[in-house]
Order: sequence, then C-alpha cells, then structure tokens
Amino acid sequence: MIGSLLERVLRRPGFLLLLLAALVPLVLHAPYWSSLVVFAAVLAILGQSVNLLLGYLGQVSFGHAAFYGLGAYVAGLMAVKLGVDYWLAVPVAVAAAAGVGALVGLASQRLGGAYLAIATLTLAEMFRLIAANWIELTRGPLGVVVLPQKIAPLEAIGIPFDRYYLFIVLFCLALVSLVVERLMTGAVGRSWLAIREAAPLAEAAGIATLRLRVACVTLSGAIAGLAGGLIVPKIFVLSPDLFGVINSATALLVVVLGGKATILGPVVGGLIFAGVPELLRPVADYREVIFALLLLLAVRLMPGGIMGLLGDRLPRRPAASATVGPAPVADSGKVRGARLDIAALSKSFRGLAAVADVSFSAEAGQIVGLIGPNGAGKTTCLNLISGAIAADRGAVELDGKPVRGLTPHEIARLGMVRTFQQTLLCSRLNVVENVLIGTTCVVPLGIGDWLTVGGALRRAEARRLALAEEAMALMGLSDLSEAKAADLPYGAQRRLSVAVALAAGPRILLLDEPAAGLSPAEAADLAAALRRVRERGTTIVIVDHNVQMMSDLCDRLCVLHHGTRLAFGTPVEVLADPAVVSAYLGAAPAVETA
Amino acid sequence: MADLLVQQAVNGISTGMIYALVALGLTLIFGVMHVINFAHGEVFMMGAFVTVVAGQGLLGLPYPLAVLLAVAAMAIAGWVIDLAAVRPLLNRAEGQTDVLLSTFAVSLLLADTVLASHGPAPAFAPGWEGSLTIGSLTIAAQRVLVVAVGVGLVVLLEMVLRRTDFGRHLRAVAQDRFAARAVGIDVERVGSATFVAASACAGLAGALVAPVTMFSPGMGHQVIIMAFVVVVAGGMGSVTGAVVCGVALGVFESLASVFIPQSMASVTVFALLLVLLLVRPQGLFGQRR
Repeated sequence: MIGSLLERVLRRPGFLLLLLAALVPLVLHAPYWSSLVVFAAVLAILGQSVNLLLGYLGQVSFGHAAFYGLGAYVAGLMAVKLGVDYWLAVPVAVAAAAGVGALVGLASQRLGGAYLAIATLTLAEMFRLIAANWIELTRGPLGVVVLPQKIAPLEAIGIPFDRYYLFIVLFCLALVSLVVERLMTGAVGRSWLAIREAAPLAEAAGIATLRLRVACVTLSGAIAGLAGGLIVPKIFVLSPDLFGVINSATALLVVVLGGKATILGPVVGGLIFAGVPELLRPVADYREVIFALLLLLAVRLMPGGIMGLLGDRLPRRPAASATVGPAPVADSGKVRGARLDIAALSKSFRGLAAVADVSFSAEAGQIVGLIGPNGAGKTTCLNLISGAIAADRGAVELDGKPVRGLTPHEIARLGMVRTFQQTLLCSRLNVVENVLIGTTCVVPLGIGDWLTVGGALRRAEARRLALAEEAMALMGLSDLSEAKAADLPYGAQRRLSVAVALAAGPRILLLDEPAAGLSPAEAADLAAALRRVRERGTTIVIVDHNVQMMSDLCDRLCVLHHGTRLAFGTPVEVLADPAVVSAYLGAAPAVETA
Repeated sequence: MADLLVQQAVNGISTGMIYALVALGLTLIFGVMHVINFAHGEVFMMGAFVTVVAGQGLLGLPYPLAVLLAVAAMAIAGWVIDLAAVRPLLNRAEGQTDVLLSTFAVSLLLADTVLASHGPAPAFAPGWEGSLTIGSLTIAAQRVLVVAVGVGLVVLLEMVLRRTDFGRHLRAVAQDRFAARAVGIDVERVGSATFVAASACAGLAGALVAPVTMFSPGMGHQVIIMAFVVVVAGGMGSVTGAVVCGVALGVFESLASVFIPQSMASVTVFALLLVLLLVRPQGLFGQRR
C-alpha cells in the first residue's frame, strides 16, 4: 500500500506539488528562504519546459534562454512601458514565447537531430544582441528596472507581496507539472514517446509526427516564457544576460542532474541549482566552471540523473485504469476492405532503377503477395505505396482515389497501414502501449487530449483501449499486454508489429516480411491470424520469401525481378510460369509447381 | 565609397576564411562521426589564447613558433575531447543527444576557465607585420597569410581525403560505420584522428585570427554560431559548401558593417539562418529529400 502510493507519487507527483503550493507559503515566512524557493520553482518550471524536449522528444535545446528571456522582457516591458498590470502581462508573455516556439519548431523539426540546438542557440544570441543594442527600448546593458507589482486586493487584506508571489510561482509550477504529467500519461505523450523511439513506426501508424513535434516545441517555449515572466519580480532588472548561455546551460543541467523523462526530476534539479550558487559563494568566479564540470560528469556517469537512481520513473499509468468511465464500445468487427491499384510505379536511385513500371491490383478483401528474389524491389515497392519514399512516376490509388504524394500518416488515416521488415517497436513501452500508438488513427487526438481533462478525453481513451485490446486478441497477445516490448520473444515481437498496424483500423494492410525469421509453427500461426484479419474484410498486401506459405495464403501473387513485374496472377498460374521458375531456380527444364 | 566597399570585401574574405576553417572541422566531425562537437568553437578560442600567451611574457616565442605550439596543443585537445566526452557516449541508445550535451559541457568548461583565470579583457598577439598596397587597397600581411594558409589547407584536406589510405578509411567510416568496421577499419582510431585533425584546424584558425582581431574569451561562442550558420547553409557534411558559405558570410558581414553596427550585422545573419531553416531546410546546396 505504502509502496504503491510512493510509486504513484514518484511517477505522477502533480497533485502532491499542488498541495505543497498551497501549504509552503503558509509556513515559509523568512524573505530569504521564500526568495530562494521562488528561484527554485522558476528553475523547475524552466526544467519542465526543457524536459519536454530532452526527456520526452529526445532533443537538445542550447538556447532555452531565448524563451525565458523573451517571457521576462515581454512581461516586464509591458508593465513598464505600456502600464499594463504585470500579472495580466505574464499570459501575454507566455503567448509570445509560444509563438516563437512554434516558429522554432517549424524551422528545426523537418530536419530533427541537432537542428533544434542550432536554432535555439542562434535565436538566444540574436535576442541578446537586440536587447543589448536597442537602447531606446531596453536601455541596453543597463537594463530596465521593474518594480514589484503588487496586487491591491491582496495587499488590502494584509497578505504581503512575498507571500502571494511565492504562492503564485509554486502554483504555476504545480499546474505545469500536472499538465505535463497528464499529457505524458495520455495519447499525446504516448505519441511523443513513439516519435522519439521509432519515428517511422509512429508516422506509419497514422501519427502526424511533424505537427506533434512542432507542438512539443511550442508548448516548451510557452512554459519557458512563463518561467521568464515569473522571475521578473525576483530580479527587478531586465538585462540582456537573461538570454545568456549560462541560463540555457542551467536549464539543461536542472533536467540532466535532476533526472530527464521524469516529472520530479526538474523539481529536484531546480532545488539543487537554486541552492548551489549560495554554497559556491566563496568561489563565485569559478561557479560556471563547476556547473560545466557537473554537467559533463552527470552526462558521463549518471545519464538518468538523481531520479534515474530510483529506476525508470516515466510518468505512466497502468493501462487498466484507462477503462474507468463509460464501458468501451467494441467496434463491430467487420471492416470494409479497400481496393488498391498500382500503375506503372517507378523509382530510381541515382540512375539505378529499383522499381520500374510495376502494376498490380488488389481487390477489396483479397490477399495479394509480392514475391521475388532478394533485391527484386519488393520493400521499395511497399515504401513507394505507403508514402515512405516518393515515387518518380506512376499511380497509387486507394478505392480509385490517388494517394501518391501524401505523407505516410495521411495514407494511414485513409486506411492503408504498413508494417516494417525490421522489427520496429517502442522497446521501452509495454505491449498495450505499443498497440495504442496505432489507435490515434481511428480516434484522433482531440481537444480533450490536449487540455488533459474532460469526459471526451476519458471516452476517447476508453475507445482506444478497446481497439488495442481487439488488435491484441487478433494477434494472440492479450496475455502479454503488460510485458515490455524489448523483453518479448522474437515471434511475439513480429506479431506485435502487426497488432500496432491493426489497431490503426486498416482497410488495407501492407505487411513487409511478417514471417521473416519465424519457425514453421510460428509462421503457420501468423498465417492463421492473417486469415482471420482477411475474414473481417481487410485487404492485405504481403511481401515474403516463404513461397509455400505465400501460395497457400494469397489469392494473387505478383512476382518482381530486378525491379520489374515478371508475372501477376493466381498462385498456380504464377508458379507455373517458366519466367518465374527460371528467375528463382535458374533456367530449369523440369517445372515443379508448389 | 566604392573604395571602402572594395576594401571591406577584401577584408571580409580573410574573416570568411576563418569561418570556413572552423566550419570545416565541424562539418568533418559531423560527416564522419554523425555528431556535433559543440566544443569546437572553444578549441578555436583556445588556439588564439595559446598564441597570445606563447607570444607574450615568459615564453615570448616568435609568431610562427607560437602558431605551431597552438596547433599542437589543440590537436591534443581534440584527442582528449574525443576520449573524454564523445567516444564513451557514442554507443548509447541516445548517443547523439548525449554527445551534444557533453560537448556543450566541455565548451562551457573551456570558456569559463579562461574567463575566470584570464578575465574578460581582450588581448592582442603580434602577428606578421606589414601590409600590401594595390592601388587604393591596403591589405594587412596577416590577412593575406590567413587566406593563403586557408586555401592551402583546403587543398591538402581534399588530397588527403581522395588520395591516401587514411582518407579512404575516413570516407568509408563516414558512409557506413558498421560496414567499415566489418572490413577491418579501426573505426575508433579514425574517429580519434578526425577529432585531432578538425581541432588542429580550428586551433590554426584561432592562431591566425589572434593578430587580426583581438583575442577574447567570448570569441569561441561567437564563432561556433557563425560556423553553424555556415554548415547549415552549406549543407551539413559538405566541404565545398563550408568553404563557399564561410567566405561568403565573411564578405557579407564585412560589407554590412559599413552600413549598420557590427552587432546588427550579426543579428541579420542569425535571422537569415532561421529564415533559411524555415524555407529551405536542406541548405543552399543540399538536395531536397
């Protein structure tokens, strides 16, 4: 009981923080300590912002001071220059930082990798130079003095500024932590984790990966802007140093040392880094050197941070709790299969034709197999159909509607979902969480998922869970739902990849060597499962080497050789074709059909 | 006015060559190891710092010896950075992110150590005295040296990459680390050598620039952002792109500073980078994927 409560608090401490926000200002009276706690809380908010990117999206920002400083300058300048009430200016500052975050997201996320670091670093330096040189507005390095902004009604009833300032900052920290925690235990966070661990899988399962990454940077920018807005009453003076590298570095350190991918990590980090400068006062000149050493040591020796020492504390909840609420309505189990027409599909890589003029069709509800020797262009063909690679020429039509040129997630949302030749799963997530990735294709992210509250959110999650359970049942994974994907035996991992695709409610399923590496018994199980899928109405296009399984399973076979179509027809026709036999066995006089 | 512009453009070429040399190392490390060495700008700063210190006071070395010392010291620094902050992290699941963080830490460590011990005041290193006069143009001899050494280094690098066994190994690792290891290439050694070469290159750039502009502890931070601008515009991993964009950036900045303050010229460059990322993320020379 105590253990499970502790477990819950470590993973999802939002409500605890809310409680502390209400209690701490009641007992903390000394201005020195209250000021220190304010600083710790602001650092923690900044840490939550960085953690969204570093912990959940897996990207580094070297210039989070850009958003932090922007928040401080916007709120402070509005109060000083425009006479706007400071506490009303803070939300504006948050909106401004969110807007800049969206732009940075758009600029960096199409490339990914280190580009977020480069973009934020450049932005912070740009803002610093502007703040230092736009003398009329900012008084340059001298800075703008912002006097403490009192709230008259609270002063009137005798609450001193220190007290309600502390309360507001702590309340903001609790709110931010709660929102991040709820996002991470819902469909949005699941999608972010999927993007981080297996972006191609997320995209193929219908997640709009680019949009969600940009949203993550936007939210992160907004939260950092909030931190900046809240620090102003503590520091009094807006100076260009707000945009300095040391603030960006501290923000990273708070997360790395506290523990990334946890809710409490940034809070622990914030407390440490509010206290450390006090301790380092005797060696103040070398404070930043010591910070740098700490960062290096933490990355080298303790990549999980302090919270990491307590084990994996990713905010998540047991899947069972998602069923709380209205009973899930299972979908009828019948699927309207789609028709696929491929015409003259072609793709060359630097002049080398990988796929040339390939045409075939799959009627609704059919199983069509693509076979051919290694290097025949089967996987490339599948990549072209699913939108993973852009075709040079040709047409791909889904129920007569052209889909060539759409992104993979758009194609997935139209009902054509694929699996991958190499097992591609989110290895840190468990089976049901993996399968849930596919379900946003059927039950898209709604406003409730972003606000993290409301009946619509609970109903959406319940429907997603029902879909996931159906997909797991079809692939015989129901008993394994809580097992970690990385710990599954290979055969179960292959079935899990099909289950992720099934959870996306495909009307046509593209399978890339689902039986590769399976034992004959496992392959037979898989074939049986695929027949069940087809019986529900789903069309299947399958690539595999196992000619025996394919000829038993498929209604039509398309044989590829050196990127061109050698034959297309029923398995009996195709395997009797002399051209096919010679491609497989070399020219052979005696024809033995399977 | 025209004279001034031509003079500024010529000066810009040598500034741009410095950007190119720093960007070259950055892009080389990225091309081979697929990581960003954030500490690269501070290696440049340390190169200038060693030159200043070696040329003054107790050591009082003549400039060419000070340059050699700086290059040698930075080559060793590169080897240490690889060993301490890059190689141990590369094989982690999130190696690239961790290397970004660890090299960021190294960069802060170097910059703040110099800042805390030397103070923020700029310092000067005496270089190659004298100047060249062509018509109304006056070019400092040191600037000519920068361009000459820069061009020579780029040619040498191309030769090494194309003609030597080491260059072939390096290109093999850049293309496919796994396959390179499978055919018996010592991938760790190639990585180490890449870091040494890139850091020596940055150290040389720092040693060359110290007599042209003043040394200051903040110069590494400034140059790394410029180098990022160069590699992003030139296409990450491209040698030609780095040189062309580096020189172009130097000339642009130099010409712009005729009309607007230096800091605003930098702001313009940074804003252009962000716009470039928005409208043409693959860089000026990159292919659309």
